[in-house]
Amino acid sequence: MTDPANHLGLTLQEFLDDRLDAARQAEVRAHLQDCSQCRGELEALRWVRDIALKRLPAEPVPPGLAGRVAIALDRADRQARPAAPRWRKWAGVGIAALLAAAALVLLVLSPSRTNLPKAVARDFAEYSSGRLALDLRTSDGQAVESLFAARGIEFRTRVFDLGMMQYQLVGGRIHRLGNHASALFAYRGPEGRDLVCQMYEGRLASLPQPDDVRDHDGIRFQVYRVGKVTLVFWQEGAVVCVLASDAESETVIRLAYAKAVKV
Amino acid sequence: MASKQNPDVEGTRAAFEAAAVPFMQSLYNTAWRLTHRSEDAADLVQETYLRAYRTFENFTDGTNCKAWLLTILYSIFINRYRQAKRRPPMESLDELEERFHHLAQPSDPAVDVTTVEGWGSRWSPEVERALRQLPEDLRAPVLLVDIEGLSYEEAASALGCAVGTVGSRLFRGRKSLFVMLREYAHQAGFGKGDPP
Repeated sequence: MTDPANHLGLTLQEFLDDRLDAARQAEVRAHLQDCSQCRGELEALRWVRDIALKRLPAEPVPPGLAGRVAIALDRADRQARPAAPRWRKWAGVGIAALLAAAALVLLVLSPSRTNLPKAVARDFAEYSSGRLALDLRTSDGQAVESLFAARGIEFRTRVFDLGMMQYQLVGGRIHRLGNHASALFAYRGPEGRDLVCQMYEGRLASLPQPDDVRDHDGIRFQVYRVGKVTLVFWQEGAVVCVLASDAESETVIRLAYAKAVKV
Repeated sequence: MASKQNPDVEGTRAAFEAAAVPFMQSLYNTAWRLTHRSEDAADLVQETYLRAYRTFENFTDGTNCKAWLLTILYSIFINRYRQAKRRPPMESLDELEERFHHLAQPSDPAVDVTTVEGWGSRWSPEVERALRQLPEDLRAPVLLVDIEGLSYEEAASALGCAVGTVGSRLFRGRKSLFVMLREYAHQAGFGKGDPP
């Protein structure tokens, strides 16, 4: 470690950014005593971080931007409000009938009424049996991400590269999962096993009681088993991700562990 | 940005504005340095606020609101503005290592490089130009970590990549910037140990 011939490389940055434990920091300090090259590189990195970039001036916010944002939020508020004028319009018809209709609408539309694990399992079965077509068949993950962006998926999608685990991307489709717009993409794995992933904006907490809960690298995974299909859900920011497959249950869970990102 | 709505909506709106509006300058800075166009940057910020407002229930009180907003902003940027194929030509990693190695001149052993030094204080548009020349995958971690002050973990979340990837991209980005700015760096007092 203190041999000047072995320069520190990325460790210099970890030292600079205070990401090393005390013992490792002491090793780096000892190395720096003897290695002028690493001292020079540390100075260079520090200059970039603390001088060049910290001196950048703020770019002036356009004067009208705050107003534009306020108008956009006003519009969102109006869309979120209940349609009061319609209530008045229908008052003569009978409040009880209207309440019943509203309850029915809520029953149909409420995300909490849709059992999402069962819905994902159904989607998996339909995909596996060839009844659920993909919008784009390709092994190019970027192309599938572009499809999602172009077709109105408003959150950022991550089409996983599962090549190391011998799962090859087959393609993706814009899907509906309950009331959620969902980015669905599928893989073909060892022994012809299918694997389907979906991503949608939602909350893990709104899912029903799972069959199993795992914690891995600080991420909570909710595991459901519907027939032979294992479903593993986890949260990444505003997005819920789920993997579904009839492969061995622990295999599906390990795939989720490998690709989940803590947010 | 007040609104006249029912009490629930009004309460949510007030809470959102209190939490999110103070970061408009940071969002605009980042948007402008990602898109390089003031109109696109303004659109990106407006869309970020709208998306954030609609999903405000997903924001956890006590967490870093700026990091949450920047995550949304970067997600929209990736989906709508980035043209991945237009990656500026960059020298290979080996070439970069070699040039950085050469240009980061060994310093005087008497200088304590483990403490903050006060090299130079002039700002030059060269820094902005150099930043602009960085490919987006190296520029984004630099913007989030070095300029906006996010942790590696928060930046990883915003960029949708592993923490280690943030570290390695940041390392390459900083080295690339130093290589591009070497003359300015030395003019500004880099390597002399003391502020000019």
